[in-house]
Amino acid sequence: MITDFPSAPLPLPSAEEVASELAALGGEALIPKELRRTLFPVITKEDVFNLMLSQRRAPEKVVADFAEAYRSYVGAAYALPTASGTSSLHLALVGAGVQPGDEVIVPAFTFIATAQAVVAAHAIPVFVDIDPRTYCMDPAAAAAAVTDRTRAIMPVHVHGLPADVPALRALADKHGIALVEDASHAHSARIGDRVAGSFGDAAGQSLMADKNFPLGGEGGIAFFATEEAHSRAAEYTVRHGIDYGMSWVAAAFGHSQLERLPYYDEIRARNSRLIADTLNSTGLFRAPYVPEGHVHAYNMYRITLLPEAVGLGDLPVWAVKEAVHELLVAEGVPAREWQNTPIPCHLPFTHRAGFGNGYPFTLNPGAVRDHRPEDFPATLAMLDSTLVLCRELRSPVEYERALRYADAFTKVARRPDAIRKLVEAGDYRRPYEKAARLG
Amino acid sequence: MELFDTATVLTRVMTSGVVMSIEKSDRELPGLERLLTKRTGRAHAVLVNSRSAAVHAALAGQGIGHGDTVSVPELSPKDAAFLAWLGVEVADEPGPAAFEHIALDAGRAHLLDEQARALRAPALVVDLTGLGFGPAAALLTDDRTVWARAERLKIFGAYDLRTMWTQEESETDLIPGVQFNYRLSPLVAACARMALSQAVRPLTTGAPS
Ligand SMILES: Cc1ncc(COP(=O)(O)O)c(C=O)c1O
Repeated sequence: MITDFPSAPLPLPSAEEVASELAALGGEALIPKELRRTLFPVITKEDVFNLMLSQRRAPEKVVADFAEAYRSYVGAAYALPTASGTSSLHLALVGAGVQPGDEVIVPAFTFIATAQAVVAAHAIPVFVDIDPRTYCMDPAAAAAAVTDRTRAIMPVHVHGLPADVPALRALADKHGIALVEDASHAHSARIGDRVAGSFGDAAGQSLMADKNFPLGGEGGIAFFATEEAHSRAAEYTVRHGIDYGMSWVAAAFGHSQLERLPYYDEIRARNSRLIADTLNSTGLFRAPYVPEGHVHAYNMYRITLLPEAVGLGDLPVWAVKEAVHELLVAEGVPAREWQNTPIPCHLPFTHRAGFGNGYPFTLNPGAVRDHRPEDFPATLAMLDSTLVLCRELRSPVEYERALRYADAFTKVARRPDAIRKLVEAGDYRRPYEKAARLG
Repeated sequence: MELFDTATVLTRVMTSGVVMSIEKSDRELPGLERLLTKRTGRAHAVLVNSRSAAVHAALAGQGIGHGDTVSVPELSPKDAAFLAWLGVEVADEPGPAAFEHIALDAGRAHLLDEQARALRAPALVVDLTGLGFGPAAALLTDDRTVWARAERLKIFGAYDLRTMWTQEESETDLIPGVQFNYRLSPLVAACARMALSQAVRPLTTGAPS
């Protein structure tokens, strides 16, 4: 039987291990090779049983019941279940009234799907920089990008931290344009008591199986504030012969997962606090920033490096980052860059072939820019100086594993000498000088 | 398909823990790809999450996009609407078909082999939605470039579905401009594969294994 049940438990952490030689220099790894696998999603007997029961029901009903349960959890007025997050974003834009040739303001730092959903809506993505602390769309940069042809602003709640919705809402209202959320990282994320997905005129959200709230494979959901927006999106797919429907198999799995989402949310919040306490005590690392009143969902956990705090301030931060990255990976911490290039500098937005022959970019040549990475200094500074944990904080990450991740950061931060040696010997380049990566 | 068989397949995949389409260790999507290439006699399969996605992949795979004109005999009103949305025009004069299609359901699944062998277009759209596990389809082709372009369309230009990372490669014309998430879920693929393998059972006397 092929099973995901763990083959062996991790040993409990120990102070001697933290003080031992770095794995990259021949020491023992804090997380041994054979014990590195993290399971996700958590699949339980409830999921299996619920799928069995769902087989006997009408597929449309399984999907509709799931969508209604989750809509009610989010507190959005209307919902449309879809085949993917990308299709949900496409339909959110359509519902919000985006027309061919319109401009939609998106952040330069996000997953490429945010911008591709704009192209799918036959509209033009206009890229703006991020806030250097939240990594979400900078409202001032968005304000500067508004033109007569702007139809919507689409912030992303990056890594699970809600964007500055009050400022962006005010900007949208001032110009009479729509606010459309990309809530793909932000299941259960909040500002006050409102949940991400319910802030905007419309929202799209990925529910694919590697998100905090996973369906049984691929899926997404669009939310709308008005019935009119919901029908506009629903009719659009029929009129254009577009199949964006969700499979009942994915939906049934999501329904039982939804019951456990609050538990998963607490585990992530707990693990984030645990790792933050350690990171902030190392000097070299700093935990993510969360503004007052915001609840971060920690789909990803972006850690800032402060080389100057450990006497490495004379070295380029991106080189320190890369050296630290190597040291962490050798200890068994699967830290990543998660992106290395602003989205407008990825091939599809430098070539701009679109659907073919440059459509829809040809509809509005005035909106099109040939960007260089330097156009987005806050994005570049973030890419230069941060590393990301993805699945590593999620349930069922065991407590001892979370402790070992924390220990690995401590172990590496105690060795500025080793970091300096690596940087001096290594041939490191800035992140965006390497091949553009999607994740 | 019997409820018991579906239950067994779903439970087997969930027990493996792999339900994500971009998981390296997934065996279900390659399994369905193999079955479809074998049955249809085509060299390559691209699995997608719906019929319209397969139509898009069939056209984009051949480098057909906005502003281009194609010939597709027997185009349904729904497919015609979708082609119009893509900006692809349909020629008045008949010509070689850009793609042909087969729609399968539980009652007709065993006909896939003979139907596929009778068709000649460079791209074959096989709609698996009628099997009952939600929207699902495949593009079948003998042309490696068609396959390569279609694979990249469905996953943001990434050329390695299992790692999904870089878009950079030597042949940049394989990278689509507009890119979607058209990926099929392993659980759906596993059920479709089981339904298709059962459909052949009554015909196994001398049929290809
Ligand atoms: C911010 C963001 N938007 C959109 C998407 C697209 O979602 P999907 O992969 O479900 O199409 C993703 C992730 O995959 C994402 O991270």
